[in-house]
Order: sequence, then C-alpha cells, then structure tokens
Amino acid sequence: MSKKYTLNELLIITCAKEIKDYENVILGVGLPTTAGALAKALYAPHTTLMMESGIIDFEPLIPLNHIADAHSCRGFSYATDLFSAFTMTYRGFVDVCFLGVGQVDKYGNLNTTCIGDYYKPDLRLPGSGGAADFISYAKRTILTMRGGQFVEKLDYFTSPGYLEGGESRNGSGLFPKDSGPSMLLTTKGVFRFDNETKEMYLDKIHPGVTVNDVKKDIPWDLKISSNLTTTERPTDREIDFVRYFAPVESAGRELMMELAVTSVFNHAQERGKM
Amino acid sequence: MESSAIENKVMSAREAINRFVNDNDELIIGNYTVGTCCELVYEIVRQKKKGFTLYSQSGILDVDVLVNAGCIDRLVSTYVLRSGGKKGGGAVERAMRAGTLEWEDYTNFNYNARLVAGMHGFSFIQVLEGVMATDLFKKRGFMGEDKYRVIQCPYTGKDILTVPAANPDVCIVHVQRADRDGNAQYWGAMGSVAAAALCSKRIIVSCEEIVEHDVIKSSPHLTIIPSYRVNAVVEIPWGAHPTEVLGYYNLDRFFYGMFMMSNATEEGARAWMDEWVYGCKDREAYIDHYAQKFGSGMLDKLKARAFFSAPANYGSAFISSWDENGRERTMGITLETLEKTMEERGMLCE
Repeated sequence: MSKKYTLNELLIITCAKEIKDYENVILGVGLPTTAGALAKALYAPHTTLMMESGIIDFEPLIPLNHIADAHSCRGFSYATDLFSAFTMTYRGFVDVCFLGVGQVDKYGNLNTTCIGDYYKPDLRLPGSGGAADFISYAKRTILTMRGGQFVEKLDYFTSPGYLEGGESRNGSGLFPKDSGPSMLLTTKGVFRFDNETKEMYLDKIHPGVTVNDVKKDIPWDLKISSNLTTTERPTDREIDFVRYFAPVESAGRELMMELAVTSVFNHAQERGKM
Repeated sequence: MESSAIENKVMSAREAINRFVNDNDELIIGNYTVGTCCELVYEIVRQKKKGFTLYSQSGILDVDVLVNAGCIDRLVSTYVLRSGGKKGGGAVERAMRAGTLEWEDYTNFNYNARLVAGMHGFSFIQVLEGVMATDLFKKRGFMGEDKYRVIQCPYTGKDILTVPAANPDVCIVHVQRADRDGNAQYWGAMGSVAAAALCSKRIIVSCEEIVEHDVIKSSPHLTIIPSYRVNAVVEIPWGAHPTEVLGYYNLDRFFYGMFMMSNATEEGARAWMDEWVYGCKDREAYIDHYAQKFGSGMLDKLKARAFFSAPANYGSAFISSWDENGRERTMGITLETLEKTMEERGMLCE
C-alpha cells in the first residue's frame, strides 16, 4: 500500500497519465500545468509543453500562476505569439489540450461564459478565452471539472464537444475528423465518451465514491461502463513529485488560503505592524 | 500620427494620458495577462476619462479597475476572471447586471485576429470556424451582424468565417525597456502584445527603464514596437505591479489576492480603489504607500534574479569598404587611386 494522498493529488496524477510521450500538449492553468510537469518528469520526457501565450517547450519549476507565466520556468525553447499558437493548433500540430469546465452536457459541450441570461447574467464566468478554439482543433481534449455542474442544456454554448452526439461533430464539417473531448475528470470519477453515440459514460470512480454519489450530480440517466473500475491509486513516486513540485495544489485552495493568510499575519506581527 | 523624431516623447503618465487618451475613444490594453500596464490604467481612472470601448485580450485587475471606475461602456474581450470564484463577483458582472456595460465575446484567436488584420491594414481576416457551432457565433452583442460574417472562399468554394479588423484609437502598453524615441522591447509571453500596439492609431508605452539607443540596436529581435509608431514613452519602475514583468519582478500574489477579495463586492472594490488608485497620485506614491503599509521587504522578495539570454552575435567580418591598408575591398585600390582613375577616364563632372 502506497502512502496516503489528497483528492487533488489523485486528480493531478490521473490527468497526467493522459499525456503520452512525444505529444505536443497545450496546458491550461491550475491542475493541468501540474499534471503536465508530472508527466514530463515521470512518464513522457519528450513531450512538448506549450501555452497559448506563445511559451513553447518549457519545463515548469514551480506551479504556474496562469497561461502566460514565464517566471515559473527557466527559459523555454520557442517564443511565439498567441496568434501562431492557435494556427499551430488549427493546422493539427497539437495532440492534446486541457480545459476547465463551468457547465458540461452529456456530449461534452461546454459553458464557461455565464450562468443565467447571457445579456444580464446571474454569474458572468470568465468567457471562452482559448477554450472554444482549442477544443475545436486539438486532436483530443481532456476536461477537468472541480466546481462545475452537469446540465441537460447549457446556459450558453461556449465550446464545442460532440454537439448533438453521434456523427454530428464529424458531420458538421467544422472540425478535424474524430477530434473532441476524450475524457472528463471530476472530483468523483473519470468519464469517457461512447464511440458511437458520443454520450459520456462513467468509466472509473475514485476510491471511496459510489455510483450513486456520481449519479446524484447528473440530471440525465447516466450510462455506466460495463467494466467500471476504481481510479488507480497513486504511487509514492507520483505523490512525492506533486507534493514537492506543487505543495499548494496538494493542499488545495482552501487550506492554502487559510495558511497563506496566517503566514502573512504572522510576518506582519513580527514587524509590529498589526 | 503626431509622432516624429524631433519631438520629445519622454513624459509622465499624467501628461501621456492627458494628451493621447480622449473620452469615447476605442482604448486597447496591449498586455496579455502579464506585465499589465497598471499605472497607465490607474492614471486614466484618476483623470476621470470615460465612454471607452475597451479591447482586452484577457483581463483581470486592469479591466475590473476601469469598469469599477465607470470608464467603460463597451467591452470587446475573450476572458475576464471573476474575483473569488463562484462565491465572488467582479466589476464586469456588476456592471452587466446594472445594464451599464455591454460585452462582445470572442475567442482568444478570433479576438487576436481582429488586431492582426488591423495591424496589417486589412479590412477583415479569416478566423477559426469552430465557433460557428456555438453561441459565440450565434449570440451577438453591440456589434450585431458585424461581429462575424461568413463569406465563400474564392479558391475552395468553402464557407469561411471572418471578423472585421480592429484599429483602436489608442493603445496603452507596458514593456521591459524602451529608448527615448520609443523603440519598445518586450520578451517572455508574447501573447498579442505587438498586434495590440501596432493595430492602434496612437501608442503610449510605459517601461521599467529607458535605455540607450545602442542597447536597442544590438538586440533588435526584442523590439516589438518601432519608435516611429510611438507617441509617448513613460518610465515607470514597478509600473505593472501587482502583475509581473519578466526579468524585473514576480507576481505579487499576496497583494493580487487582496485585490481579488476586495473586488468581489462593490463596497470592497470602492475601498480598494480609494486606497490604491485615487489615493496615490502616481506610481511613486503608490509604491511608497505599499512599502509603508507592508514593509519594503515585501517588494524586495519579488525582484527577479538574473538569468540572461545568451547574446546573439550581430557582428560581421568588416564594417567599412576600405581594408586596414586603405584599399577598397573589391577593387583593391585606395581612394586616391580611385579618384585619379575616374578623373583619367573623364567620369567626373564639374
């Protein structure tokens, strides 16, 4: 039995295993950048890590703050611009990209724009950024969802998954053949998309989670894989890497914030300012 | 264009914004996520300029500060991060709910393409058509039909998606260094910084330091905006704080977090603006206030250590037509002999 791990560590490690050696990978901020660093260090040393800001072939030394963070690596191989990072994707040079999810439907279509009415939103989410472009043209896309929700109908359709399912994405003539989301990772399990119908199904559940736990978040009758398995337990080596490289990711946002505030407060007290 | 070589372009942020930014302008923030031209943004707010259509590739603090101040009527952007996640809020969301702000949503590429078209003098440009399946194409804001138009490719006959060029009135942008004429050098995450500046009619450059022209001459690959396009050069150390500038300082996570927490509510945002934007007359006052409140040690910890780019050799074998013996390198004779020969051949005119 390997050492104990946090849920965040499990998610990062599960994500990292989706990257194969020699692939060109576009990383999004947060969990994916740590997953990319882990993959490059442990399983895929020849992978080329890229960001939409034009930072190409970098090796992160600390977790990245965002997708234009050249401070977190020591140099990189190719400084191109955003325009070229996307045309490179359009032309088929990007194997896999990672996107975060606000709302997702059963065909992997995404909303990261708003909750409620588009013109007078209840919540105005950040917007597409590069998401709609990347999921359109990367050979495959890994979706990660920590705070989002499953819905029957998106409040706003930001980024194209498998549209209405079946052959609709391929048939639209808008996307490279057989591109689209290949996995959705949530805090409860791993979902994949049926080869024929393109509807998502539950492929793995994380240790300690039941199928009912998963189902209660989902408004449609979720399909379950006939060989449903439990998400692979991380190894000591994987856990050690994440904990050393990205301790704030291991800790998670809440604990990190709590400890950070305490730390700032303590420093201020030492200086006699508060 | 008002820029010319003899004009002194070096000025304060106050003068630059006063002279080159007008109410109701189309205003573009040149920086993308990093190295945000924060001091230029704050100065616009302090001068109470308003009525802008704001172009921003991807904004957080910069966009929200301008929207908090009521400077922006219309926004063209792809991404504005919400403060404090789902539980939080943000100036853009508050203004949209109040009906005082309209937002035209694009994807990163399709927004950037509008600048690229503008920078090269084209009236429109082909963009990535995947969005035709989505609401980005179907739902239009204030641009209406002109947000996207579909035309037929004259070569393949296929439908292609296009966006119109953007040529904003004025770009504000922060870079690492520039010379007094405005040759602006920037490195790191290139984003859409050059396109944002070059598509604009006027350009205000702020920089961490003004350097000698020779520095620019020996590293032209770092220059993203040539001097003849630049109207104003403003030297502002820490001009992008709390965002980061590669080679100068890191992101101030603590202070940025403070902004995000404050910005999540209207009252919080107002207090933050009063203290850090209206309450500091310029960047020097801002940095003084910061150091007084948190200790200067906080900023020292953010300063970049050196990791220099390997120098690129721009040298050549010789830089004169005449060799060390005074002979021309191709013809093999001295200037004196050349002149004598030309005289003998009757080639010289009175």
